[in-house]
Formats: sequence, structure tokens, C-alpha cells
Amino acid sequence: MAPRIEHASFAVDEHIWGHRLYDEQLPHLVILEFLNVLQSNLNDPLNAPPSVKISYQPQHQIRLRSLLFNNPYVEVVRARKIPDDTKWDTWIEQFKRDAVEIEDMFFDHLRKSFTSFDDFARSIELLRSSAFEGKSNKRWSSKFVFPFGPDALYEDLRFDANNHASNDRRFFARTGELLYLMLGRASNGRVLGHQLVERLFRRPSNMNQLVKVLQGSVQQAPNRRDVGYLPYAQLPRFDRLCDDWLAILGRDIPIYDGLDHITIITGLNLLLYFLESGKNSLGDVEPVEIVCEVVSSQRTKVRALSGESFQANQTISLRAVKALVENVRTTPEWEAALNSEDPKGECAHIMAERFQYDKDDEIDIHQLSGERLIEELLKKAETRHAQHVEKIHNTWSRAIGLSSRRLARRVRYAPNDRFLKALVVTVVDDRMEFGEFLAEIYRRYGLVIGHIEGTRHIQNNQVDQEALMNNAEHLETRLYGLGLVRRLSDSCAFVENPFNRQGGM
Amino acid sequence: MTPPALKWVRFLRNYGPLPTNSNLFDEHVNVALSQANVSPISLPTPYVDEMLAYVKTDKNGSLLIAGTAGDGKTYHARQLWLRLGGNEKKWAAREKIQTLELPGRSVVFVKDLSELKGPEGEKILDGLEQSVEGNENTTVYVIACNHGQILDRLRKSRDAEDVPSPLLAPVQNAFFQDGFEHPRLKVIDLSRSGHRQSLSAVIKAVMEHPEWDRCSSCELNQGERICPIAENRKRAIGLEDGGRFAHRLGDLIEIARLNGAHLPVRDLLALAANLLLGHNHPSVKEGLMSCSDVVQIQDDDAVDQGSIYRNVFAANLPYRRAMARPVFKTLRSFGIGEETTNGADGLLVYGSDDTRLRADFDQFVGADRVYGATKEYLALQKQYLEGEESVRLEEGARGFLDRLADQRQRLFFTLPDEVYSKYPFWNLTTFRFAGDYLRLLHSVVPGESKRLVEEKIRSRLVQGLNRVMTGLLLDNSDIVFIANSGGFTQSKISVLCESAVPSYRTGGIGMHIRWEKNGQRPCLDISVGGGNQGSVPFDLTPVRFEFLCRVAEGALPSSFSNECFEDLLAFKARLLRKAELVRAQGHGNEGDDDDTAEEHASLGLTFIEIEQNGHGFLKRISVRNA
Repeated sequence: MAPRIEHASFAVDEHIWGHRLYDEQLPHLVILEFLNVLQSNLNDPLNAPPSVKISYQPQHQIRLRSLLFNNPYVEVVRARKIPDDTKWDTWIEQFKRDAVEIEDMFFDHLRKSFTSFDDFARSIELLRSSAFEGKSNKRWSSKFVFPFGPDALYEDLRFDANNHASNDRRFFARTGELLYLMLGRASNGRVLGHQLVERLFRRPSNMNQLVKVLQGSVQQAPNRRDVGYLPYAQLPRFDRLCDDWLAILGRDIPIYDGLDHITIITGLNLLLYFLESGKNSLGDVEPVEIVCEVVSSQRTKVRALSGESFQANQTISLRAVKALVENVRTTPEWEAALNSEDPKGECAHIMAERFQYDKDDEIDIHQLSGERLIEELLKKAETRHAQHVEKIHNTWSRAIGLSSRRLARRVRYAPNDRFLKALVVTVVDDRMEFGEFLAEIYRRYGLVIGHIEGTRHIQNNQVDQEALMNNAEHLETRLYGLGLVRRLSDSCAFVENPFNRQGGM
Repeated sequence: MTPPALKWVRFLRNYGPLPTNSNLFDEHVNVALSQANVSPISLPTPYVDEMLAYVKTDKNGSLLIAGTAGDGKTYHARQLWLRLGGNEKKWAAREKIQTLELPGRSVVFVKDLSELKGPEGEKILDGLEQSVEGNENTTVYVIACNHGQILDRLRKSRDAEDVPSPLLAPVQNAFFQDGFEHPRLKVIDLSRSGHRQSLSAVIKAVMEHPEWDRCSSCELNQGERICPIAENRKRAIGLEDGGRFAHRLGDLIEIARLNGAHLPVRDLLALAANLLLGHNHPSVKEGLMSCSDVVQIQDDDAVDQGSIYRNVFAANLPYRRAMARPVFKTLRSFGIGEETTNGADGLLVYGSDDTRLRADFDQFVGADRVYGATKEYLALQKQYLEGEESVRLEEGARGFLDRLADQRQRLFFTLPDEVYSKYPFWNLTTFRFAGDYLRLLHSVVPGESKRLVEEKIRSRLVQGLNRVMTGLLLDNSDIVFIANSGGFTQSKISVLCESAVPSYRTGGIGMHIRWEKNGQRPCLDISVGGGNQGSVPFDLTPVRFEFLCRVAEGALPSSFSNECFEDLLAFKARLLRKAELVRAQGHGNEGDDDDTAEEHASLGLTFIEIEQNGHGFLKRISVRNA
């Protein structure tokens, strides 16, 4: 039985996807939230069967983030031709004006740590240049330094007019918590957990040291809190996700570059989790398919098909919500309730049990018939679904570079170079024949590019074989351009991972 | 009178880029030979001796002749068959599989694996597996096949337990690694043979064919009459200029090969035939002359349109037909004719009027009355310069501009090396630094007398590398900065120096330009320390070289930059990873070094800063640890 979801007047989405997936939490923010959970569980990382309650106490690191993102003065002061001491004094005075309370001792610490104000300014600039969305116009408390190590992690916060910090779950909306649970329930979760702890937390890098100097002692959230709810004890998708992380960590690249690929492949797997869980709720056993147009200089016939594929997947989640609510009618309990002495009361009881739907601010639900109850809940569930969860497919697929509107009016699946690169780095250990690669990305992620994987669409006359063959050829050319394909002779190409262990270039 | 070499030229024409070029298939060539009653064009088969020795030795296993369509797989198989004493007629029969009995074993020849479908093919592969993996010595297989086909078959032939064929791994490795050896399987990969040598062999075989002797009595090439076929042949042989044309063409083919293009012998033969016979006169069928077309061409004063310099790029063929042939597509990708320099165009446009250019014009353009300063060229030039009404109309100058492109092509093949500093002919191509590249190639290639890599080349490479690594406009050429952005390697600007190594390898650290056997080309090898484990190689293809040189010069052409940029980012990522590993090792070994205490107390970050003049220097900042 699902736990009660707090602060919710009913729960429908949560039964399908958990509490919760959230559209505005883009994949890199999911990873950052995930790292916060991991940081609180270093002793037993990624061990999260349903029987174990996972909790965490994230860091706040207010001094660090103020210096980086709420500090427009530092360049101005650096550029002035005044003595070093005066620079420090001027800057401190300006900075303190609207900074969240910072003790004077901290400024002494900064002055002692850096040889000169210029060095201090240079360091700030360096960290800003590598920050996520450093230049976006988000509130400063929702900007994040690159996750260099333990001291660079903190949670998303909101500061009110009185500089009180609270977690409004705007960008850290628990999707990272769910990611922790997914990886923690995968077969190889603990192996991954130990590797991550080893590479990100136990051997802090220079950059982490620098961040540590700017932060001083750790600032933590006041309390430990429980993570969200994930409805599935295990799923093949969780294993896939975990094995993809392990594959990337095994490549011959700096861990920081690995994180970029990890972000994309995680976004892809979460997207598939979203679509697959939706289909599951619909009772649809066909695997999820994502027909991709590989954009080339000429317009292709696959464009229309990939647009349709996108639209079809886009409708899954709303239909899933509808099915979950309406399917209550077909249950024996519902039948029994309708035939009982108090059908309204019994139906209301079932709705409360199943969907946590036990009160409504607008109507007295205890006066409604079973059918009306279903209608009312469905209306509410659909409205709420449309606000955020329904947008996940669109937002995430775009964020990871899988979908785009490039050269067209409609959104369709048209992967960009960054996405393709992440795919190769994840899937190909050393080298893989091109046809096998197409088959493998279909098997793992349902990506349809060539005619073999797209047989169904050819048989349905949605597209001709030649168009899909050309599509695959375009992919080969694109990958060749990215240095990821080696051609032997006519129609014989191998996809190569430039970062395999042996490494040949 | 029938031109004396009519039959021979018609036979040769069948090798050209015709829609039905049947002579280019070894399977058909014998029929054509007997019809024309000429001796065959015979090409050297350097591998046949090796193959012969292999098959003749007892208990050796089997042989694969692999290659792309047109590499001469069947040709090699036939030569081996004949050398082993096989019967020519029997070979010519239609059977796809031929068996030759040698003392103690049979040799099974498969002319082309792709023609064997279903069970027939499976039987052969089973036999091959027995021979290679099962040590079966009574049957030896000689199989001609394409790379893709055999790999595909082996991948699909799985046993009851769904295990792929044990031959898959060795065959695949043989295709990818040069010098791969297997005790019972020999792979001759014709696609690896050097194109430059193949090209010279093809040119020699075609141009010096005995049938040409017939031309000496031909009236079409006497006195005032110039036969374009004979003229082209003369230039291809190049007795007067030391074979400059063939050499430059060889350079182009070499650059293309090092960039990964594969040009099978079939294509080179088509090129050779086209060099001689290409002409786009309306009476010429399919753009390829035969002797009977020559009179008309001469009478129409159109000999220059059959110029060998145009024919290199198949200017005689419609665009689509030219581009359908890899060899012409590849050669056209050099942009010769479109690319130009002020020097070359100045010479071609104003040369005859400008006193300062007059001597050069006479030498490099005027002296060539056949393909250079023809009457028509001079007339169009005059018209263009004097600004007649017609040339001011739209497209009015097209005629002259087309001739100009022809002349640029001619100059590329005829300008002597001695005037390179004045007229750098590589600048007439998209590979402006190809000359430097070829010199670099020769200074590292094994076997040739060792020369040092030119300082100019090395420093330009280093400059290019530094600019890509850091995203800063650095001019340093003595040191390679391996820089980090702090976060992702892809970030455009990286100012944090992880390691700075000298541009020469000293004490096991630094950059080394060496020969890479597997790619058969130069390779940048940068070591960040830690012995052999600490170095990362980067294959230096001509495109990558061009990219680095152009970046060093401050220009970044968008046409080929993305591919190279991605390659270099991958290189950078691997260097950074290597630096990380070497540093981690170093820390492990330091133990109770005196500095350790101090190092722990402070953190050092090294920034790359840049002076006004573009010189980068390291600025170390130290931060006291919290």
C-alpha cells in the first residue's frame, strides 16, 4: 500500500510515477539533488530497498553561494586601481549591504586565505564560469556551483524578504530523491554507490578545496528529512540506469566530463521511466518507441513520423491518469460498494483509500454518487497533471537534446550532437558494428533510426524503407563527423568510443 | 584512314567512367581482350608472392583476400590460381567455387563470397572454421570477400547456444589492426595497400602500354595537328618536367588516403582512362573520346577542352556522374579551380599586360600553347580586360571565368617547386598546408633517412593546439598547455592549467611527433609524465593538421572545423584524465616528502594569463586551506 503523500488533497500521479517527478527540475538539477542525498548516506551508499527508510540532511552553504551568485561587486572592485587593502574594504562594505547575514570573522578568514584581492576575484570568476546556468536570470539561491566534491553541494532554497531560508521545492522537487531510490534499488546499486563515493567524496579535488575555502565550515539544513516515494521495488529500467552510470564511470575521461554524459543518459532513462510507467498504467504492453529524425541538409520523410511519434508519446501520461482513476469501476470492491447499503459512503471510502481523496474544499464529497466521485477526482487530477507532470516529456526531452523544433514548426525527436555523443560513450565499450549499435539503442532505449528497428512503421505504410535507411546513413555521417565512426569499406562501419580504456585515436 | 590505335583506345575507353564500364570487372575483361585483340593492362600484384608462399606451406591454415569493391580481390585470386598451376579456362567458367588439387590437400577458391547465398555460403564458412579453428589440414580455403560481408555473415552464424562464430574476433581484429597475426589465418587486406604506389603502377601500366606505339604512324598527330589523347599521354608520362603531373596527382591521392578516403584500383584505372580520353565536345559520347572523335575536335579548335588538368576532376562529365565516382568526388573535394590566391589570379588575368608579370606569364602560361595561352584564352582575356559591353552583362564573363578555373587547375599541376615561395600551388587547394604535411610525413616515416621535424611546422602545431586547448589566443610555441575549465572539458574557455609540457620530448615529458604504424601517418604523442603510461596519442590526419595550422593562423573555416574540433576535445579530455592519473600516482609516491606539510596547508591553482603580445604565462595563486 502506498504511503500517504503529505500536503496533497489527493494522489493519482504519485501512484503511477511516485512522489514526485517534476518538469522544472531538469536533469542536471536531478543529479545535483541526488548528490545531496548520496552525501548524507556515504556509509551505505545506494542501498535503498523499499523496506529501508532513506533520509538526508542537505547542506546550505550560504556563504559560498552568496559569494558566487549574490556578489556583483567583485569585478568592479578588482578593476579599480587602488591598494589591495582598500579593495578588500570597499568590497566587504558593498557586499555586506545585501548579503544574508555573514559574520565579520568570515571576512578575516577570506583575507587571510587569499594572497591578494585579485586572486580572490579570479577564483570567484573561475567558479562562476563553470557553474550551471551561471549566467541565467534565475534567483541567486537557485544557482549551483559545479559539483566538484562534498563542499560544493547544497540544496535549492528560497530567501524571503527577511532573508529566511526555506525549501520551496521549486527546482529540487524530489526527482533527485527518486533517482536515489531507483539507483538504490538496481541490482548493481551498491557497486555504483561505492564508486561514486570513492571518486567524488573520498578524494576531494583542488576545485573542491577552493570551494571549501570560500565556504568555510559547512552549513547544513536544520533537520534530516525523508525522501519521496517510489512505487516500484524494482524495474528493468532502474538496472539499465545504474549500468549506464557504471559504464560511463568506467571510461577514460575525467569524472567531471563523465557527469555531462551521465546527466543526459539519466534524463533519457527517467524520460523512459515516465513513458513506461504511463504505458504500464494503461495496460499497454508494447515497448516505448522513440522514432528519431537524424537532421541532415535535406528534408527527410522521417520528419513527419518522428513528429507523430513525439505526439503519441506526449499523450501517454494524461491517458494513464484517466485510466488509473476510471479503472476503479472495474474492481470487485467497487462492485460490492455499489451493491451495499450505503453506496455513497462505501464508494467514498474506496476513493479515500485508493487516492487519498477524502475531502474537497469545493464540494461535500460524501454527498456524491460513486460515478460523480470518479468524475470529480478525474477533473481535479487532470487539471493538476496538466500543470507540471504532463510537461515532463516535452521539457526533459528537449533539455537532453533528444527533441527539437529545428527547421520545423512541430516538435519532434531529432537528437543533437551532445545527445548522440553521450549515447556512444555509454553504449559502446570499445567498438560496435553500426547495425548492432542501432539494434542496441533500440533494445535499451526504444530509439528507432534504421529500417530494421522501424519495420512496424514500414509495414503500416507510415514510412518507406528507403527513408529509414537514409536516416540511418545520416546518423552514420553525423557520428563520423563527431569522430565516433570508423569506416572499413562499402557498407561497413563501426561506432567507436574514443574514451575506451585502451584508448586509440 | 582508320586511326591505327582505334581498337586499343576503344578497349581503354571501357575502363573509363562509363555507366557500363564492364572492363573494370575482372570477370569480364578476358572476353573484351580477345575481342579487341590487344595485350592486357597488367598491374603488379605484390601480394601474390606472399600468398603463394603461404598456401604452398604445409599446415598453414587458410587465406582471406579482403577489400572494397574494385580493390582487385578477384584479380589477385585469379593470379594465385594461375601461379599454383590452375587452368585459365577452368577459372573463366561460371562456377563461383573452384577447387585445385595440390599434393596432399585441396585448395578451395571462392571468387566472391557475396555471391554465395544460404547453405552454400554456410558450408564454406564451416569449412573455413574447421581449417582455422579445427586444425583441419586437408582443405585450404582462399576466399575473396568484402569487409562488411564476411563480418556480417560471421556475426549471424551462431551455433545452437547462440555463440557467434569463433572466427569473428580474429577477422575483425585483422581488419582493424595493422600487423595482426594469427597462426592459422592469413588476411590480405587490399584496402590497406598504399594508393600512391598503386596510382603510379596504374599510370605506368596504362601510359606505357605497348599498343601506344601504333600512334607514331597516326596522321592525326602530325605537323600542326595535335591529338589531345597523345598530348595528355605525353604530359602524364612527363619526360620534360620530371613527371611533375603524376607526382602532384600522387600527392593529392596520398593526402586523400591519409584522410581516410579509400580509392580502389578500379577507380584509379577509371581515373587513368579519363585523364587521357576525357573531353566534353558535343560529338564525344559519354564524355570519353575515341580516335574517331579527334578530327572533329581539331577542326573545331577544341583540343584544350580535353586538357588532362580538367580531366583529373572529371570536368568532362556531368556533375552527378562525376560525383558518383569516389575518385572524382575525392579529387574535387580539394577545390582546385575554385580556390585561388591573388598571386595566381593576378598572373592569369593581368599577366600578359603587366610588365612585372610578363616574364612569369610567358613561362607559366604563354609557353603552353595547347592547354595554356590558347588563342581562345587570350581572346577572352582581352575581352574581359577591355571591359567590352558583353562582359558587363550578368554571366557575361562566365566564359573567361571558366577558363580561369581551368588555368588554376593547370597551374596546380605545372608550377615548378622552385617558385613555391612566389606561387605556392597548395594555396590553390583547400589544403593550404598540405605541402608542410607531406614534408612532416617524410620526416617521420620509417625507412627514409631521418630528418628532424621542421621547427616552423612544430611551432605552428603547438600554437594551434594551445588555442584549442585553452580557447585563448595564445602565441606560445615552446610549451603545450593542458588546460581545464574547472568543470566540463567542452567549455569554450579553459584557464586553469593542469599541466604544461615542453613542445619537445625531454626526460619522458612533452610532445613528440612520431610515426603511427596503424594509421600509417604522423601522430602527436603528448606525455604528461609517468613514463609510457602517461602519454596520449593523436593521429595527425591532413584535415586535423590543416585545422591546427589554420587555427594557429587565426582563421577558422567552418567547413571542416566541427569534426576536427570534436576530435581535439576528445584528445583534450584524455590528456586531462591522464594528467589526473599521473598526479594521483605522484601523490601516492610522495610519502613523507618535506614539502607535504606545506602543500597540505595551502592549495595551488595555476592560471593561464595572457600578455598584450599574445604570450601566455602561468600565474600561480595560492590559497591557504581552511
